Amino acid sequence: MDEITLQIDGREVKAEEGKTILDMAKSLGIDIPTLCYHPALSPFGACRLCSVEIISRGRSRIVTSCNYPVEEGLVVNTKSPDVIELRKMLVELMLARCPNVKIIQDLAKEYGVEKPRFKLEDEKCILCGLCTRICDERIGVSAINFVGRGVDRKVETPFQGTLDIDLDVCLCCGACASVCPTDAIELEDTTNKKPIPILSEYNVGLESRAPVYIPFPQAVPNVPVIDREKCVHFVTGECKICEEFCEPNAIDFEQEDEIIEVEVGNIIVATGFNAFDPSPIYQYGYGRLDNVVTSLEFERMVNSAGPTEGEILLKDGSHPKSIAIIHCVGSRDEKYHEYCSRVCCMYSMKLAHLIKEHSEAEVYELYIDIRSFGKGFEEFYNRVLDEGTIFIRGRPAEITDIAETPEEEGKLIVQFEDTLIGRQRRLPVDMIILSVALEAQPDAEAVARLFNISRSADGFFLEKHPKLDPVATMTDGIFVAGCCQGPKDIPDTVAQASAAAAEVLAMISKGRVEVEAATAVINEKICSGCQICKLVCSFSAVDYDEEKKVCRVNEALCKGCGACVGGCPSDAINLKHYTNEQIVAQMEGMLV
Amino acid sequence: MARINSNTELEELRQEILSKRDQNKPRIAVCAGTGCLASGAAKVIAALKEEIKKQGLNADVDIKETGCPGFCERGPIMVIYPEEICYLQVKPDDIPEIISETIKERKVIDRLLYTDPTTGEKVTHESEIPFYKNQKRLLIGTNINIDPKSIEDYLAIGGYRALAKALFDMTPEQVLEEVKRANLRGRGGGGFPAAKKWETTRNVPREPKYVIVNADEGDPGAFMDRAVLEGNPHSVLEGLVISAYTIGSHEGFIYVRQEYPLAVENVDIAIKQAEEYGFLGQNILGSGFDFIVNVHRGAGAFVSGESSALMTAIEGKVGEPRPKYIRTAVSGIWERPSNLNNVETLANVPLIINNGAEWFTSIGTEGSKGTKIFSLVGKVNNTGLVEVPMGMSLREIIYNIGGGIPGDKKFKAVQTGGPSGGVIPEQYLDTPVDFDELTKLGSMMGSGGMIVMDEDTCVVDVARYFVDFLCDESCGKCIPCREGLKHMREVLNNIVEGKGNEGDIELLEELSRLMTKASLCALGTSAANPVSTTIRYFGDEYQAHIKESKCPALVCKELVSYYIEPSKCQACMICLRNCPVEAISGGKNQIHVIDQAKCIKCGVCFDACPTRFGAVIKISGEPVPASLPEKERSLVRGKK
Repeated sequence: MDEITLQIDGREVKAEEGKTILDMAKSLGIDIPTLCYHPALSPFGACRLCSVEIISRGRSRIVTSCNYPVEEGLVVNTKSPDVIELRKMLVELMLARCPNVKIIQDLAKEYGVEKPRFKLEDEKCILCGLCTRICDERIGVSAINFVGRGVDRKVETPFQGTLDIDLDVCLCCGACASVCPTDAIELEDTTNKKPIPILSEYNVGLESRAPVYIPFPQAVPNVPVIDREKCVHFVTGECKICEEFCEPNAIDFEQEDEIIEVEVGNIIVATGFNAFDPSPIYQYGYGRLDNVVTSLEFERMVNSAGPTEGEILLKDGSHPKSIAIIHCVGSRDEKYHEYCSRVCCMYSMKLAHLIKEHSEAEVYELYIDIRSFGKGFEEFYNRVLDEGTIFIRGRPAEITDIAETPEEEGKLIVQFEDTLIGRQRRLPVDMIILSVALEAQPDAEAVARLFNISRSADGFFLEKHPKLDPVATMTDGIFVAGCCQGPKDIPDTVAQASAAAAEVLAMISKGRVEVEAATAVINEKICSGCQICKLVCSFSAVDYDEEKKVCRVNEALCKGCGACVGGCPSDAINLKHYTNEQIVAQMEGMLV
Repeated sequence: MARINSNTELEELRQEILSKRDQNKPRIAVCAGTGCLASGAAKVIAALKEEIKKQGLNADVDIKETGCPGFCERGPIMVIYPEEICYLQVKPDDIPEIISETIKERKVIDRLLYTDPTTGEKVTHESEIPFYKNQKRLLIGTNINIDPKSIEDYLAIGGYRALAKALFDMTPEQVLEEVKRANLRGRGGGGFPAAKKWETTRNVPREPKYVIVNADEGDPGAFMDRAVLEGNPHSVLEGLVISAYTIGSHEGFIYVRQEYPLAVENVDIAIKQAEEYGFLGQNILGSGFDFIVNVHRGAGAFVSGESSALMTAIEGKVGEPRPKYIRTAVSGIWERPSNLNNVETLANVPLIINNGAEWFTSIGTEGSKGTKIFSLVGKVNNTGLVEVPMGMSLREIIYNIGGGIPGDKKFKAVQTGGPSGGVIPEQYLDTPVDFDELTKLGSMMGSGGMIVMDEDTCVVDVARYFVDFLCDESCGKCIPCREGLKHMREVLNNIVEGKGNEGDIELLEELSRLMTKASLCALGTSAANPVSTTIRYFGDEYQAHIKESKCPALVCKELVSYYIEPSKCQACMICLRNCPVEAISGGKNQIHVIDQAKCIKCGVCFDACPTRFGAVIKISGEPVPASLPEKERSLVRGKK
């Protein structure tokens, strides 16, 4: 393609055909103000701010740079006195329309416009059309557009929301609001659908995230992912703005999930735990009352890399003056989990310590028993006590926002029995942290089935022997580590994981597996492929051969229990060593 | 009707039509254009048919419902042939007399003739009426001879001869050359040479190409295109097909306002007839050239008359100008080369082809050739459509054709070019009307609106009116036009309400400059013309409003007070009884006095006071004299 040479503000620049003056000015680092321009959208020419003076074919005139195509020999002046005067007046007109909009105020400051000479209005929308264009051109639904003309022009939904019809077209994607330079669009007012923010999984819903996002700062690999369920492109087939903007062309909409098969000799199951959801405990008001948060939510909030950058904030944005931490939410509770989650006492105290470090707030710990059993834990407990955290023994009965006295007004009140003094008390605080239990993962059942391992009554995976073989399972080669086996803290988890690793290493270094001497063997000539043996095998030792339509025993897994032998309807299975006939013969011999 | 398949067949048909017509048979032509229909033409026609039937003259008289001949002021208009007797303001009651006297007895009824206001002489023939005599009616002159719903009428006056000539005797290049030599300039406003535009579209190497008729005439008070399209739709179709042949287009659009139902109806009928006769469709007149036309009805936006907005509207989108620095002739409808011409421009094309470029260039001025139709309205005696050769002076149009200003008032200004045109004061009345001269004065030819204002017109109020119109009719897309107009209106409203400030004029001028330089489309860049020209020519009137709170034309309500001159008041109680707010006190033999605190300045008293008394006067810019003390109010009448 032929290159075009033009001159911008006295500097020569070579351009490809089809580029605009604005493109080339940008490439030279020359700043031209714009409002209605967006690189992903078609030029609109409404704000006229990007006007420049050109000399084309010997004639001087004013054009908008966002859509004026480059031409050979073009001379452009982006800052001629005429242009500056014109922009200044445009800004004055915009400031009269939107005196309280930040971007316009900034422009006014830049162009030295102080007070418009015109009658002031208080609009937020500058009618730049970015929202209508993104909705039409990129999202592909055109759920909003301009209505009316002249001075009555405005952005509206079809029929301006006056007709009671279902405005299905709006995806409620929020593109309009995100592209709006003046923050004039409130999604709630624009659509009749309920805007559902995409909540950040990592920050447990404390902030929202975009459909394309890096899962969390330390993610490996540290690259963005696209949420297929939320990404507009995967919903409508349109948009693709990210693809245009990604300079190394790294975005691939065709990419699919891959299933990778790896052959291994040992597996360590370390699927972790799930934090207990306290919403079923109605009396604690989680999800119902503002400022009742879970320990995990608070953990993110108090983290300096978290959504509030470590600031402890109430829903209304103010700082709490008092915080109560309630222990054993969901654990040591026969309605939910009878077991002790083992870590809550200590992390609750850590939170108390962090609160004291970050704020002036009064902290109350409401506990049943303090279980600071680990190394250095009791010392930490004493330190927290010294820091002024108030420990109260008693399990709260209710959290309410209904005040009984003026002091309780506007606060959350914890109702409980202080078991050390044997009296009912009410404790008004600003924020309540629920120290939630650790529970088995919701898919633990499926995982257990997959690996053919057992679960104890509490739902966690069952080890082979609590004392003698705490990391192995009933299935050879499958080991467990960490909280999937039961609640534990980090040192315990590391210890258990190391043990599991050692077990695996021992197997690997041995280089061979010792199998049971007496394993089952299937006579393929007789096997009908009914798979009853597979069903009855407790050790997943029987596989079905799709090709030959027969069952086969994995000797490494077979424990020689004989269940399959008895179960086989066609007597196709035998245990090694003595056959049935031999045993019968032996018995006969003994009896003779 | 069988399709016509050659030039010969066309001429044979024409001879056949003409041979059937008896030139001596009485023919009554009644204008059935929108103007005359509004003044009762439909009833006149019904009465006429009834009477002829009653008198058993069906076979002896032809009745023709025609398009607009232009003299709308005096409608309904009737012309009786072969004598060409022109009756004006005909009422249904006049019909029996017309039949018995004029048709049967061949006698002229004086009462219905045009009377010269100065000499009092009666004028019998249409062409002798000064209104018509001083015009050169190439385009609308034949309207009175044509029933727009009849293609035969058009063929009878030589219709589609130019098309046949172009198709069979000329190459597209030759047609282009002819139109180029004729220097036909666009009648829609810009005055861009039509042939140059045709050539641009023709030379774009992309298919398909479109040709479009712009009949989105939205200027207040303008109805030139309406009259042509309603009265002679085939002339526009013929011009369109010739343009399509020249450009190499096979599909065209007629963009006509929904507010012109009769034009839509007549155009639809004309297209159907033309298709039947083989002037449209496949293999036109057997020449091998194909062309079809679609009618697109506009939804009522003034801005859709702007070329790119019109094309966007044809695409089915909201009619808004495109932000593109590429001409629609190169990339228009669906980004295809699209040639857009005004109704009047295309109606001129058959004339040029038939009579040649030399003939056409013999009419008009150096830069502007041919004739131009104006809709002459406002404070002028003969309102209506006038078609004059380019270069006629404004004075000739307003005084010789328009008959001057009614009521012996003084001429003040004339506004040309519609809402985006400018106001021209008296000192430029001798300016020849052509594209370039009007532009020099800060106004423009526009599509041909011409609004005459007398001394009772306040130019600030006029500017405000046009700005108000454009506030509603701008598309609202770009900031200079939308926000500029809004604040212009605000400032002008303040001025006419007496709340103007020092610096307002400069502010208006600054806004005008911004809009002219920075707006997106031609509507915006010309929107400030009414304001900038009134400031240019009538700056003192603005100053009077702002500095003295005075409206020199006594128009602006907030600046005018009503006062009863005690020496003139005859205590007739007419004003007193008519005052809607009981602001006038007085009684029998008691000189009336207006309570200024109660007065709402509705002007009813001013209108009610008998002119021979003229006691109620308007005052502006000075304090109202104190009322007479109550005891001095008794009226002492002189002895008769």
